Amino acid sequence: MSDKIINFDHVTFSYPDTESPAVKDLSFSIEKGSWTALIGHNGSGKSTVSKLINGLLAPDDLEKSTITVDGVKLAADTVWDIREKVGIVFQNPDNQFVGATVSDDVAFGLENRAVPREEMVKIVAQAVADVGMADYAGAEPSSLSGGQKQRVAIAGILAVKPKVMILDESTSMLDPEGKQQILDLVRRVKEENDLTVISITHDLDEAALADQVLVMDDGVLIDQGIPREIFAKVDLMEKIGLDIPFVYRLKQLLSGKGIQIPETVTSEEELVKSLCQLNLKM
Amino acid sequence: MSKIIIGRYLPGSTFVYRVDPRAKLLTTFYFIIMIFLATNWQGYLAITIFGLAAVVATGLKAKVFWDGVKPMIWLILFTALMQTFFMAGGTTYWHWWIFTLSSEGIINGIYVFLRFSLIILVSTVMTVTTKPLEIADAMEWILKPLKLFKVNVGMISLVISIALRFVPTLFDQTVKIMNAQRSRGADFNDGGLIKRAKSVVPMLVPLFIDSLEVALDLSTAMESRGYKGSEGRTRYRILTWSKVDLVPLFYCIILTILMVTTRML
Repeated sequence: MSDKIINFDHVTFSYPDTESPAVKDLSFSIEKGSWTALIGHNGSGKSTVSKLINGLLAPDDLEKSTITVDGVKLAADTVWDIREKVGIVFQNPDNQFVGATVSDDVAFGLENRAVPREEMVKIVAQAVADVGMADYAGAEPSSLSGGQKQRVAIAGILAVKPKVMILDESTSMLDPEGKQQILDLVRRVKEENDLTVISITHDLDEAALADQVLVMDDGVLIDQGIPREIFAKVDLMEKIGLDIPFVYRLKQLLSGKGIQIPETVTSEEELVKSLCQLNLKM
Repeated sequence: MSKIIIGRYLPGSTFVYRVDPRAKLLTTFYFIIMIFLATNWQGYLAITIFGLAAVVATGLKAKVFWDGVKPMIWLILFTALMQTFFMAGGTTYWHWWIFTLSSEGIINGIYVFLRFSLIILVSTVMTVTTKPLEIADAMEWILKPLKLFKVNVGMISLVISIALRFVPTLFDQTVKIMNAQRSRGADFNDGGLIKRAKSVVPMLVPLFIDSLEVALDLSTAMESRGYKGSEGRTRYRILTWSKVDLVPLFYCIILTILMVTTRML
């Protein structure tokens, strides 16, 4: 139990005035320090899960559903303790920028926690520098790109030192370059701060970075495993309407032509290498 | 378009920019009160010199201040002319029907003109050298005593600062919606007043829906970052008095002495 940071046990949640629950009897656990991708198409309930983790939404029946974050069971009186442990980077870079400038925004979470100002100044400067935005500390959000705003959102989370960082479609509104930079940054700060990362996404290239993939469809967890295993289930991916990463698609098409590529090949470079070796053997 | 400047702040580096926004706001109010203490030409001379000194101290071009006065110039001239032609006293130079041109009238017209122009000039000094956010902070400080009457000043200031922060965002959104409507044949520039007003409706509806969405997203983000209401929060951005703030203080003291002495002449 100790190495599991998040635990869902038979969690059911319905939005008001809807007939079927958005999340049905969901049970899973996430290991401390891991990177988990939660995938599924729009409306599969994956974003609802992120809001359940930090108590922005509460399960229908707290008696039957149990959510535990870092040993704390979610209940009305523990919700603020849990929010201390979980930071979420949301989808829209603009709609989560609260402060008037970069520094002000990073300080927002600290202000809420009543951190004394002298400490706050140090923490903010450090967090802004950590995400490579030191040159923009005084900048106003309207002068920043989407990717830069997401960096600031990450800095705001690092400043309050949570245990878990959730990326809720955080890269879906960014251009490919901005997306790559954010993912690189997340990978770096995850190691430096010993974070557990949960990325909620329908972009399987992003999911490929994870240690573990959870597949959701219609509020139910339909599969889980390491990315390589999950992406190999091409029919499943197509059934729930997700685009398989290029390497896996190519491997599948090649096997249709009778060319087998080893299971261990997961990146474009490895695929090129493997194809070249194949060429040598012919 | 996204780099829209709210208010009329112009970047600069003279000491006026370094004066604490609270000092600037208070001095501006105080100056306006002092204007009404002037009753004779010595008083008006003194206050005009002080007003122009503030303008010169900003180090900005005269055009900036002219732009401030320009929209009001007809109103100022109209009021000044009313004073000139309707007020009798002293030597009468000309009289026709209800109009009188007298020495008192001319002097009063000039006084009214100066009063109006000075009020606009000093407010312009304040608005062009102070960022809207600083003005909001200064207002919060001035409103602080209202806490005694259970007014939630912290929340008001958060509301103002978020509103200021989202002006450019909503402006961008407006431009986007306008372009989307234009590309489908909407015309915002032609036709009479009613037609133009009507063409704004299909723009306002999506903008309104959009801003509700922004508000919902923002409240979710704020809550997940631990916002529990404005009680028990600390402040990152604070205003600190510095030596520069002695300048407006002495400015006010000397101005008061001058205005009081000229009244006694």
